[in-house]
Amino acid sequence: MTSLLKHTVAGKPIPLIDGPEKVTGKARYTADLDVCDSLAGRILRSPVSHGEIIRIDVSKAAELEGVCAIITGADCPHTYGVIPIAMNEYPLARDKVRYRGEPVAAVAAVDARTAERALELIQLEIRELPAYYTAADARAPDAVPLHDEKPDNLEREVHNEFGDIAGSFASADRIFSARFDCAEVNHAQMEPHAVLAEYDAERDRLTLQSVSQVPFYVHLMLARCLEMDTSRIRVIKPFVGGGFGARTETLNFELIAGLLARAARGTVMMRLTREETIITHRGRPETQVDLKIGFTRDGRMTAVECEVVQRGGAYAGYGLVTILYAGALLHGLYDIPAVKYDGYRVYANLPPCGAMRGHGTVDVRHAFECLLDRAARELDLDPFALRRANLLDAPSRTLNDLMINSYGLSECLARVEAASGWHERKAAMPPGRGLGMACSHYVSGAAKPVHWTGEPHAVVNLKLDFDGSITVLTGAADIGQGSSTMVTVAAADILGVDVARIRVVANDSAITPKDNGSYSSRVTFMVGNATIEAAKRLREILIDAAATKLDARPEDIECTAETFSVRGGEQSMMSFAEIATAALADSGTITVKGTFTCPPEAQGGKHRGGAVGSTMGFSYAAQVVEVAVDPDTGVVSVEKVWAALDCGFAINPLAVEGQIEGSVWMGMGQALCEETRYANGLPVHAGLLDYRMPTIVESPEIEVHIVESNDPLGPFGAKEAGEGALSGFPPALANAVAQATGLDIDDLPLTPDRITEARIAERRKRRQATNRKASE
Amino acid sequence: MSETLPGFRLTQPESVDQAVAAMRAEPDSRFLAGGTDLIVNMRRGLAEPKNLIDLNGIAELRSITQDVDGLHIGAAQTLREIGEDEDIRHRYCAVAQACDVIAGPGHRNVATVGGNLCLDTRCLYYNQSHWWRKSNNFCLKYKGDICHVAPVGKRCRAPFCGDLAPVLMVHGAEIELAGPDGRRRIALADLYEEDGADHLRLAPQEFIVSVHVPPVDAASVRSGYAKVRVRGAIDFPLAGTAVLCNKHDNGSMVFVVALTGTNSRPFLLGGVDPVAPGQNLDEAFDQLEKLVQKQVSPQRTTTTAAHYRRLAVAALTRRLARELAADLADG
Repeated sequence: MTSLLKHTVAGKPIPLIDGPEKVTGKARYTADLDVCDSLAGRILRSPVSHGEIIRIDVSKAAELEGVCAIITGADCPHTYGVIPIAMNEYPLARDKVRYRGEPVAAVAAVDARTAERALELIQLEIRELPAYYTAADARAPDAVPLHDEKPDNLEREVHNEFGDIAGSFASADRIFSARFDCAEVNHAQMEPHAVLAEYDAERDRLTLQSVSQVPFYVHLMLARCLEMDTSRIRVIKPFVGGGFGARTETLNFELIAGLLARAARGTVMMRLTREETIITHRGRPETQVDLKIGFTRDGRMTAVECEVVQRGGAYAGYGLVTILYAGALLHGLYDIPAVKYDGYRVYANLPPCGAMRGHGTVDVRHAFECLLDRAARELDLDPFALRRANLLDAPSRTLNDLMINSYGLSECLARVEAASGWHERKAAMPPGRGLGMACSHYVSGAAKPVHWTGEPHAVVNLKLDFDGSITVLTGAADIGQGSSTMVTVAAADILGVDVARIRVVANDSAITPKDNGSYSSRVTFMVGNATIEAAKRLREILIDAAATKLDARPEDIECTAETFSVRGGEQSMMSFAEIATAALADSGTITVKGTFTCPPEAQGGKHRGGAVGSTMGFSYAAQVVEVAVDPDTGVVSVEKVWAALDCGFAINPLAVEGQIEGSVWMGMGQALCEETRYANGLPVHAGLLDYRMPTIVESPEIEVHIVESNDPLGPFGAKEAGEGALSGFPPALANAVAQATGLDIDDLPLTPDRITEARIAERRKRRQATNRKASE
Repeated sequence: MSETLPGFRLTQPESVDQAVAAMRAEPDSRFLAGGTDLIVNMRRGLAEPKNLIDLNGIAELRSITQDVDGLHIGAAQTLREIGEDEDIRHRYCAVAQACDVIAGPGHRNVATVGGNLCLDTRCLYYNQSHWWRKSNNFCLKYKGDICHVAPVGKRCRAPFCGDLAPVLMVHGAEIELAGPDGRRRIALADLYEEDGADHLRLAPQEFIVSVHVPPVDAASVRSGYAKVRVRGAIDFPLAGTAVLCNKHDNGSMVFVVALTGTNSRPFLLGGVDPVAPGQNLDEAFDQLEKLVQKQVSPQRTTTTAAHYRRLAVAALTRRLARELAADLADG
């Protein structure tokens, strides 16, 4: 796993292998699958935010012609969820509903209109309970608990302290603090949710095709909720149009489709609307961050104290992981002598939150990097200098026992500082314009999976057959991030073959080995390493065959450009096809396996929750953002972004560049304009008109710099590339806006109305100060 | 919950008379042009007509001409066609600017001027799914009896969010209507009513045939459009302002301002004094800003604060007026 290898494919930019299908429209996504004999599935959703279900009467709906099956909470007594100790959600509500839009019943009918008419005929009687839409209301002393076992509506509290907090704050020359409020955001992936469930009544088998990032978890939850043996279930992932974390846990509609198909003894297609997709949510929670940082006069951090409150929505989902991440990732970016963290994950009567790109770290990083800038200003230090005063060393371990083997932050800083012309331009910004910067990091996969089985973290099979083709069999879910291209490049590089010789078959539980799925940026690190190991095994077999054929020692055989030879000698050259035939002659079809298991020392500290945040390696990023702020409307325009990311090694620089741009762009959405809004629990934002993602008009030029720190454990030295640059964008933008407007705004997103309100408040403050002075 | 399009018949008349006859034959019909407003609303259960009368096949509705009386635009001309017309870009700058900032390019390829002028009013309590609105006991505008924006009020406060109406209004446009009683021509400003649930003063079964804009002297007139929105594309106006600046031979300057997105109708700003030759223009701009602040009445119909919409549209009016005046001064 050293990058000293001479690469033939890895490290060179190649377009994603599934790109042509996507750009020509040939790719078949779940909603495009053949539905000629399928029923239409539709979900009846709770009209109220919180209440006890008294009665669900489906008799009138059942009488409607064309209705084939109706299910309610009574049809599934099992909870589901992604965290084994926090599964508290039913596919269809039983006894209680806890948010507006929660599924309460579902219909399968001959067509969508009939199914919708049937929904209107279902009679629902609910006794309403008080509902809470803010963390503060839900935590009020007299609040009715959403879940009986959590009487204070606290899903999880986290308290930890590393280092000597009191002493370290006492040694600080200056202490800065602020409270930041970050709005809830949604993934808004391009493809709305869809699922096709085929139940084979003759054999009691279920085949489910869905938009998942985690087909393995969907498989497990189907077995649990349908009380079916896992061997009777097959889960397939077709092309997926984006995930960003929305699909990193089993979602209610997947289970509902399975239950409906079985009840109807047939096939059910469910295509959710954008509104339903947004109600299914699992986005980044509304978060309040109280942050206090102590500094020495020269900008060295002495201690950090952070309290985080997340409004998690009505069910657990990934919640306890999110609130643990928020604290754990205070570490790992800078060298901080003491860190105290208090986290509160709160239930509220809103769609459940979950994992979203930059899981757990984004809002805290925003607060942190904004406060660093304010401190730099007060300490009269350059923002770059302040960060440089606090860099880590690698290899090292953080206070909370996270392993750091590679650390390219210093180079990231140098690259964007030079590229943006920071020092000359920062001082010369005209009124209304600003330059801001920030740093960030992210894990390359969680070293301990949420569903612990003891198995390797990743398994990849390679097959070589009579046709000379090499098939990579992987359970890694390509959701647009390019994982299938990554395994192709890794295998081709090790085997010395053309990428066109390699075919990837991914995500069919009947064919491909189990994989935990695409989340926490784990795939390149884990599946990449497993692919390399499998490819090395196949290479050994081929080299042995070549050695026999060429009457040479295996260590003298070279294999490049699909040609085998004895130390490159021209007279000894044999083609890949000849050697493959020779190898197959011995054993027939060749199948090899590669695995990857995270080393125990990567799996985090022994403290409670210590596994969250643990990883084999962190990516590091620094970025500079230039903005212009309209003096009349408060609209922020992003003029240019310089982003540098240390991804260890860029296996496919083109994909890395795309991932960095995507991270910047998604961070820009959260920073500028994306936010959810509810009217008494009803999502006002449940469409792409009111959930305002930036458009191409807002997209700035993004200058990407790839930094390669060569992680000793990474595949070819690689680390993650898809999330690390996200969390640096919002603070870099806010810091730029602070220069452009002279305003420190503590809220996200920085919408025109927030900026205008802040301006008005500032003017008022100044006027009052003047008046006070005048009256003195 | 779904957004399944309800069933309907489609009638495709080839003349204005056939369209009128089709409406008479099936009164439960709606006229269809680009469909970017109506079809979306139908999917959300906001309209369930038995029949749609497609106006796109009527040649009379598809032309842009100019003569001594000015500019004549067929109601089914697309926004893209209007926005790309060289003469409109030159003489009726505000019209072209407004076309360019409506929705996105895909919408502008099919959306029409008639459709944009007849756009339904919009509100965060109205432009939602059937499930959403039913869960919220519907609203005054459709199927309900309460306005969630102003619960004590008796009328719907949903604003009109078309971008074209204000720019055509500052240019003094008239529209020709066709209906069972024949044709009539009215000032565009008279098409609208300050009632979000019933904002179009169209007789039953009437539709817009064409838009007529008086000629413009390019040497003495400038016009422009500015839109308050969060994103640079897709968004409806949170508020919009059209300004026309006319410099008379005696050196005086007249500003005509029309606003959209803040009230249930687009309206011409009242009480604007002409600027006498030599008078301080900044005072005139101050007056415009104050008048806009006073006359618009944005409500809590969007996720963006009403107060902000008021301030921003007033500031943009001032800026636009200043830019146009400066441009005229530069000659």
